[in-house]
Amino acid sequence: MVWRVRTCLVLALLALGMTVQASGADLISKVKVGDQAPDFTLPDQNNKPVKLSEFRGKKNVVLAFYVLAFTAG
Amino acid sequence: MDSAPSNKRFAADLELTFPLLSDFQKKVSEQYGILDQAKGLAVRTTYVVDKQGVVQHVQQGSEAIDPSGAKLVCSRLSKQ
Repeated sequence: MVWRVRTCLVLALLALGMTVQASGADLISKVKVGDQAPDFTLPDQNNKPVKLSEFRGKKNVVLAFYVLAFTAG
Repeated sequence: MDSAPSNKRFAADLELTFPLLSDFQKKVSEQYGILDQAKGLAVRTTYVVDKQGVVQHVQQGSEAIDPSGAKLVCSRLSKQ
């Protein structure tokens, strides 16, 4: 499944190719609405480093921590 | 597993127009507090971050599959 969010830059993060489900009742994120998003640098698919803060002042960003195959599972 | 060449093939196959980042060492997942320590896997999570770097939206689990929440927030942010 591929989705586009035209008004925001989408950064898809793949953590070891797998994610687990969590119910809506047990949000485990340390980062909440209103928090400053922690900065990070990770390589993209061309092995080019991408730093979250490079988009500051330029673009809104969607961070999607997702299953590698973008499946519904 | 999530090597840059592997991600590159995956992005090409799906014709992705956005960057695909690899958190192979799980450091960012841990930094964001979404790493299920017992399983060693990240919880599926979507964040929307505004131009000031402030988180405006968080969705996890099966809710994070549906992009409509993120789309709505992005649309609102683009009008500001």
